[in-house]
Amino acid sequence: MAKYVMVLETAKCINCRACVVACQMENEVPMGKARNWIKQAPDDSPGLRHFQPGNCMHCDDPMCVSACPTGATYKDAADGIVKVNTELCIGCGSCIAACPYDARYRDPQRGVVDKCNYCPRLRAAGEPPACVSVCPTRVRVFGDADNPADPVHALVKEAGLKQIVAANTNTKPAMFFKGHTVPTDWPQDVTPPLPMRIWKFAMTPVTSWVGATTLLGIGLVAIRQLFDRKVHNAGEKESGKEV
Amino acid sequence: MIQRHSKGAIFMHWFNAVCWITLLLSGFGLINNNELQPVGMWYVDFWHALLAPQNILVLHVTLGVVWVAVYAVYILARFNREAMPFLREISTFNPRSDMVWLFRKVLHLTVGEKIMRQKGMATDLPPQGFYNAGQKMFAVPAVLCSLGLIATGGIMLLSRSWLDGSAVVQWSIALHFLCAALVALGLPIHIYMATIAPGEGPAFRSMFTGSVPKEFAKHHNTLWYDKVVK
Repeated sequence: MAKYVMVLETAKCINCRACVVACQMENEVPMGKARNWIKQAPDDSPGLRHFQPGNCMHCDDPMCVSACPTGATYKDAADGIVKVNTELCIGCGSCIAACPYDARYRDPQRGVVDKCNYCPRLRAAGEPPACVSVCPTRVRVFGDADNPADPVHALVKEAGLKQIVAANTNTKPAMFFKGHTVPTDWPQDVTPPLPMRIWKFAMTPVTSWVGATTLLGIGLVAIRQLFDRKVHNAGEKESGKEV
Repeated sequence: MIQRHSKGAIFMHWFNAVCWITLLLSGFGLINNNELQPVGMWYVDFWHALLAPQNILVLHVTLGVVWVAVYAVYILARFNREAMPFLREISTFNPRSDMVWLFRKVLHLTVGEKIMRQKGMATDLPPQGFYNAGQKMFAVPAVLCSLGLIATGGIMLLSRSWLDGSAVVQWSIALHFLCAALVALGLPIHIYMATIAPGEGPAFRSMFTGSVPKEFAKHHNTLWYDKVVK
């Protein structure tokens, strides 16, 4: 069991965007799309800028997983990575709408959803994700927080590490920021799309309750009819007409 | 004996039953989300023990397409002889008579005749046609929901290649569930009433032989019997 996390020291970021390009190349991201980003914010004195790289936060309480009707998107308990099984994805986009970090996009060619999945091919070869190894200033540290031998294990316990969350929604992101970082107010408080909310709050509870009641009712009727069978047949013979 | 169901109707009923139930069971097994799953996640786990998640979807979609294709052929081949008469029968209502039938039938089933007579209530049921009011109450939603399932299923089938409207797909999957759930709620009643309920033996057998005894038809489907006998 592992829990892959990322720690970013964004003060080191020089906006070279090598991480964005490396990710697009490694993961065959379609033209015009990206799995990761660099946010800019004014910083301290006028003219100074702060650059903040980001991607899917692989949250511990992911709203995208709650929003997905098919279970195509899920948090893998074995490594803590939020993944997408594209064979189950119907491209409904509920997860896109449900992400406070706007970390997902719909692949226009395949029609399914896509996002950071920490470069499985590279990890299988014992390498960190593309964005980590390509960074010239070593902004990103990636590793298994559950493995005491991994440098990230000690890093995540450091005092002063920050998480970036929406004002009223804490999805427990598994991405941490070391030192000063801006902006921090950009995640959105989002709600799942209306049809999904109707399904969750109305359709499912009503189905469960009415279903259980119906089955119980049929059971009770069956028992009662078993006892009263004789009455029905006797009544029919007696009156000779419809009862 | 009177002939009640043609061979085509018998075949389509059972073909429909097998497909519908398999589609329903596999469909619910695809709802891999504990907030949306009405039966419980144990049900999804049960399916995952049988098939990989994507193969449950392949089964569901393949069977759905086969079901629609066979139905389309049947409806076209038997349009005037069976399809239209069936639709006409299930949509012929007599509100006053139907309400009385439903009300008294429900009381028959729940409190029983003895208590009805004790309370001084009339126990006789208004004469019914080819289908009784209860059967029509199930048949109409079944047909409409099946059409809904086909339309929304088709949208989802195309959602990766053709459509770029996420909202359409979201509504489609939610309505797909709603249509399935509505019929699923009525299905146990249909199965009970058609098989186990006392007195239904001849009707159940007619779904295999195609015929019902004359006295049974005279009693249960008086209006249809009178028309046929004339």
